[in-house]
Amino acid sequence: MLAGALSRHLHRDQLPVNPLAIRLDHVSAQFQHRVKGAIAALRDVSLEVQPGELLTLLGPSGCGKTTTLRIIAGFQEPTAGRILIGDRDVTRAEANDRGIGFVFQNYALFPHLTVFENVAYGLRVQRHDAWHIASAVSDVLSLVGLAGYDPQMPHQLSGGEQQRVALARAIVIRPSVLLFDEPLSNLDAKLRVQMRGEIRSLQKKLGITTVYVTHDQEEAMAISDRIAVMNRGEIAQVGDAEQLYRRPASAFVARFIGRANLLPAMVMSVGAAGVEIDILGQRHTLPGVQSGLRRGQTVSAVIRPEALAISDAAKAEAGLLGHVTSCAYLGDKCEYDVDLAGTAVQVTKANPLPSDRLHPTTAVRLQLPVDDIHLLPEE
Amino acid sequence: MCAHAAGSRVKTVAPAEALKRVDPALGLTVAALWLMLGLFVVYPLLMMLSVAFVDDGRPTIAPLLAIVGKPSHRAAFLNSLLLGGLVGVFGTALGFLFAFTVARGNLPPRWVRLIDAATLLPLISPPFTTSISFIFSFGPRGLITHDLLGLKGTNVYGLTSTLAAEVLTYFPIAYLTLRPVLSGISGNLEEMAFSLGSRRLHVFRTVTLPLAIPGLANAFLLLFAASLADFATPLILAGNVFPVLPTEAYLQITGLFDLKGGAILSVLLLVPAAIVYVLQRGWVARGHFVTVTGKAGPQSPIRSVTPMARAGLSLGCAAVGLFILYLYALLGLASLVSAFGADHAWTLRHYQVIFTEGRKAIIDTLIIALIGMPLGGFYGVLVGYLVARGPALGRQAMEVVCMINYALPGTIVGIAYLIAFNDPPIALTGTALIIIACYVFRYSPAGIRTTIALMQQIDKSLEEASRSLGARSATTFRRVTLPLVMPAFLAGVGVVFIRSMTAISATIFLVSIGWTLITVRILENMTELSLGPAAAFSVFVITVVMAVMALLNAVLRRLPTATGEQMQWGLGGG
Repeated sequence: MLAGALSRHLHRDQLPVNPLAIRLDHVSAQFQHRVKGAIAALRDVSLEVQPGELLTLLGPSGCGKTTTLRIIAGFQEPTAGRILIGDRDVTRAEANDRGIGFVFQNYALFPHLTVFENVAYGLRVQRHDAWHIASAVSDVLSLVGLAGYDPQMPHQLSGGEQQRVALARAIVIRPSVLLFDEPLSNLDAKLRVQMRGEIRSLQKKLGITTVYVTHDQEEAMAISDRIAVMNRGEIAQVGDAEQLYRRPASAFVARFIGRANLLPAMVMSVGAAGVEIDILGQRHTLPGVQSGLRRGQTVSAVIRPEALAISDAAKAEAGLLGHVTSCAYLGDKCEYDVDLAGTAVQVTKANPLPSDRLHPTTAVRLQLPVDDIHLLPEE
Repeated sequence: MCAHAAGSRVKTVAPAEALKRVDPALGLTVAALWLMLGLFVVYPLLMMLSVAFVDDGRPTIAPLLAIVGKPSHRAAFLNSLLLGGLVGVFGTALGFLFAFTVARGNLPPRWVRLIDAATLLPLISPPFTTSISFIFSFGPRGLITHDLLGLKGTNVYGLTSTLAAEVLTYFPIAYLTLRPVLSGISGNLEEMAFSLGSRRLHVFRTVTLPLAIPGLANAFLLLFAASLADFATPLILAGNVFPVLPTEAYLQITGLFDLKGGAILSVLLLVPAAIVYVLQRGWVARGHFVTVTGKAGPQSPIRSVTPMARAGLSLGCAAVGLFILYLYALLGLASLVSAFGADHAWTLRHYQVIFTEGRKAIIDTLIIALIGMPLGGFYGVLVGYLVARGPALGRQAMEVVCMINYALPGTIVGIAYLIAFNDPPIALTGTALIIIACYVFRYSPAGIRTTIALMQQIDKSLEEASRSLGARSATTFRRVTLPLVMPAFLAGVGVVFIRSMTAISATIFLVSIGWTLITVRILENMTELSLGPAAAFSVFVITVVMAVMALLNAVLRRLPTATGEQMQWGLGGG
């Protein structure tokens, strides 16, 4: 729906915008808690968002991602550090003077204004003439698929429609930066998937530098150019979805992005052929070179559940021996919990056939994927 | 969903905005408001205290001791406390009867509306209406005492009639306070007690009444304060035999031209008023027992009362309601006959009088009310907004200071204004401004409270959305906040208007040759014993107030954010 609308509307003068970079420079923020005193919400966060990029801030509740977004928007001030949009230092600038568009979790539509007036709000503040406002609002409403909704009041709209109005209202003022605060968390699952696709394609076509906050890792992976994973007020890792998934920088990232087994391992030797490690008494040579490893070092081997090959011990000879403790059939896959001599391991088997099903207490063997093991130094 | 949302949910984390430097427009507004509050709230009070306690530049309590030493003043002090206590007890009982009947009696909605109307009347009437009707009914030539019972030479003046008139005037405050409390006590609790085998009276005693106790205490204190502050009723009905503090202070100033004595009597009045205010705030802060669970209440009728009890309760309410309506009918009648009690020939003469001789008072009152309305409404919204969202520094202080003139008995405020603004540097006596200022700073707390309550329901993200769209804080306030707190604005406007039409206790000290008020004219008519014009004035005031209230309610219903509910006028305790 959006693609057609876009091609019709892209020739208009207001789109696309000139994208600017966002830079956070050693930003810290504190909250005053009545009982606990000062609490650090952000600790020395530095981050750069490239022009036209969609970067997602991802993390659990309380990790500081919304605080980061609100500091970029100017709704909160950092206790230390600088924020730059383009070349301009906006650390002390008011929110209304930063050229941002903000989409709120609860949409924050003005309940006393019609859809048209909600979208026109920013243009009226900028004192555009009536003709320009009418045509710009009409264009952007078509763009988000709400042509003809002008006279409706916000409470007459569904959640998805309200979300589109909020989006239209944010982009109609041609912001150089677009900020989303968990915009889809109030929508049902199917609509969430549809809307994230629409937001992404719109953002790409408009080319607006975008920061997007979510706690949903699948949403983050689907929508982002890059993801910054946050934890306890710090940035744990920045990278694209594949880097985060395949090369997590820490146990936290490994566990937060998807599901992961972290098996204790020891480096036996480091050579040109690769790294030889010992996992649960078996030796494996991992091809390629991982820097910073030395002989005798204990490490964690990050192995994704779907990378492990599981088979009935009666039919296989190689691999680590264990037994199934539980099995959940999810249609497209089976999720097993396997006990490897006291170490619990998660295993996912895609497209499970009835004949392949392994029931609890079945003895199994697990084949480790030597190409797909990522080593983390013990923390 | 991170720290921000968590903070707003538990309300324990003060966001970093608190530390943010203040927007210039906002800072200027706050400074201007503090200047006004200082000038019209703090300064007069300090001036009054200094007149009472400073002689020749030295602090002294000798005049205080002299005043307290006079038996008549001591009597006035004790009488005030006695009257307040009795009005508190009887008014709360009557309010409870009405509230319980409405909350538990399963009355048809039409009856509830009728009860609401009957209880609203005393709240929007000028202060002498009950007193006038009492004289018409129970005076030497009274309809009941003389015509009906054939009594001769009855004396209507004294404690009994003052008490009865005040109870009828102020019990609606108790009703408005207790009704939500009783409605909030879930019928399920009572059903539960029934199911455990309790009898109805036992349930009432062991479940309903204990749960209502905070509300009862609150109602008692509000009525005590209202009676303590009441100036008009005792002035007419108490007579010489039952002096109370507000009237003593008034006579001290208007009769003996003794500002110092008036100030000291005001201080005496201030002490119990302040104690009651602090106690009442304490009750409110502690709140009621919350039995509201958010689940829809039971649809089946609550079986708390037997049909017999229900009939009894309804009859009680009907009797009181009818008596109130009778008093008002009498007032209307008295305004339309030559001389009530003596010559019952129909005439419009009294209305002719008020629209000719009384025209200046009517026009002055309307001008003052119409200027005060928008000022008071806007002031209320602004202060409410700043208390809810303004810079953290001084927010609570502002909330407390802006309530002072409202909480103080009107006599004190009037005397304080008289003392503070009689002489340079700020000589306002004789102007309309002093009366308008008195009303705005005394009667806006209704608007302030409503604004604060509304602001707590308006999510902060709306204002942030406006800012992110390029609007400055002043623009955001004008285009987003103000429209959303429009109901509070209208409530503030309404209350300031009603009070401008009906109040007297403070402004009796502030009227002049240049600017007078309808209520003051009513008092003059009463003392000249021209009761006909007094009744006509009262009918006029009630009519205008009801018309304006109807108009404001109609506007309120048409607001885009209207919820269809009637406005909470916040008249309680006024």
